[in-house]
Amino acid sequence: MSLSATLTGHDIDKSFGGLKALSKFSFEVKAGEILGLIGPNGSGKTTLFNLISGLFHPDSGKIEFEGANITHESPHLIASLGVARTFQIVRPLRDLDLIENVAIAVVYGRNGISQMQVARAKAFEILEFTGLSHRARRYPGELALEDLKRLEVARALASNPKVLLLDEVFAGLNPKEISTAIELVYKIKETYRVAIIMIEHVMKAIMTACSRVIALHHGVKLCDASPMDVANHPEVIRAYLGAGYAGN
Amino acid sequence: MKSDQFSSTNSNRLYQMIIPIVLVGLALFPFSEPPVYFISFVFWIFLYVCLSSSWNLIGGYAGYLSFGHVAFFGIGAYATAMFGKIFSLSVSLTLLGTIPAGLIASLIAIIVGYPCLRLRGPYFAVITLCFAFVSQLTVKNLEILGGADGLWLKTMDVSVEINRTIFYELMLALTSVTVLVSFLVGRSKFGAGLRAIKEDEEVAQTMAVNAPRLKITAFALSAFFPGVAGGIYACYLSYIHPDVVFDVNMSILQVLMALFGGASSWIGPVVGAVSLTVVNEGLSTFVKAELARIIYGCLFIVVIVFMPNGILEFFSRRTKRIDN
Repeated sequence: MSLSATLTGHDIDKSFGGLKALSKFSFEVKAGEILGLIGPNGSGKTTLFNLISGLFHPDSGKIEFEGANITHESPHLIASLGVARTFQIVRPLRDLDLIENVAIAVVYGRNGISQMQVARAKAFEILEFTGLSHRARRYPGELALEDLKRLEVARALASNPKVLLLDEVFAGLNPKEISTAIELVYKIKETYRVAIIMIEHVMKAIMTACSRVIALHHGVKLCDASPMDVANHPEVIRAYLGAGYAGN
Repeated sequence: MKSDQFSSTNSNRLYQMIIPIVLVGLALFPFSEPPVYFISFVFWIFLYVCLSSSWNLIGGYAGYLSFGHVAFFGIGAYATAMFGKIFSLSVSLTLLGTIPAGLIASLIAIIVGYPCLRLRGPYFAVITLCFAFVSQLTVKNLEILGGADGLWLKTMDVSVEINRTIFYELMLALTSVTVLVSFLVGRSKFGAGLRAIKEDEEVAQTMAVNAPRLKITAFALSAFFPGVAGGIYACYLSYIHPDVVFDVNMSILQVLMALFGGASSWIGPVVGAVSLTVVNEGLSTFVKAELARIIYGCLFIVVIVFMPNGILEFFSRRTKRIDN
């Protein structure tokens, strides 16, 4: 049971006008797995997240969550089934403090509750888990980027997901912050047993955290293998550094 | 964290003490035999508290600025009047029609809201304003509703004082319920979802907030109370006219009152409606009419420029800063 895939995509196509953002893209991710998603800018990584979370719908292909077809479902339904995401450019609810930001995800998320007071207590626990409890009553505008990224993660976790989509949660952080953030991702995997897909440019994060990596280029999957194999894959090197470096 | 919870229970206790006293005081006010003018004046305050509080459900909590809310007031007024006319009922029985009138307003809100709530920001504001104009013109041109002549209702066979007192108490009851609903929504899961929609609808959706359903529920709820209020108002005036009960100024005034007090809480519209009605009345009484308009306008400019989140938030942020 635990070995079957939680989230799968088959032959997903998505174009914006004449631009093919994704073509014939397939993937799968299982519970307890951390799947890395790399690729140069504009290779279709965030588009994939937007398709999974229902903000966009694919032109063709199919996305399945625990065997159910969610390809054309609306974002709130997909989220309530247990697919949570963060945004690359942080999008906190600015006029609400951190507790409220997270508590809203608790009440509306998978197996949501209706008591705001209970949700606030739960939200506080999640803020504690993500290392933000000392700022619980602060507003997002008072936080530094590192903490805002943590808030994105906290909010996604609060909706009690089975699949967590992390969109560049390490971008813009310094090396020390990256290390603590990687620890957080590990801790999430261990504690919540979720399937994680993470988009990342920070290679240190990819190499240490991911069990498997998919490389994308111009919307096409280059390879799907272990982090080491992907890093040495000639196609991947060509996409990032140019043909000259991909020799032998 | 702990001190926060403590202070919030303290203020809750304060509310629990003060609110019943205020309500009982207001309910007893007409029996102290004040001039009839004051009873009517407070009736108007209640009406505006009711209108701006119910507007606040969609406009303040969810951030969908409806500029056509007077339409629901007008629909309620006409629905109640027709109810009384068709069954040729006495005034007190006609007043029973205010509840179905409110439900009709809600139903129309659902029908209108379904397409309109897909629009955001200024587009939603403009289309709701258009909706108010269209409903006014429709009523004006329907002979069955009295057209441009308006509609007469029956009057109560009692003295002016008693008549005013009855409507005063009715409006007080409706306003109390409206404010209570606004208060409860603000604290609930529903209200939290609306706030998330106001902040960032797309993010709210990815947090599993069913935005379309929440918005339409809020819109329908925020149309119900103006519908009932319109019905009470129709019986109060005993004559309604499209230019009066669909008056766009009323739409704009309820928006301004909510924004003036602070649209993010239940108390904001209450404070906004009370203070603006009092200021407006005071100015018209004690200052020359032309000058009064200018002062009133300048007051709005000052509030919008210096206190964009309303007077309440302005002062509470001030005190917070001092605390820190």
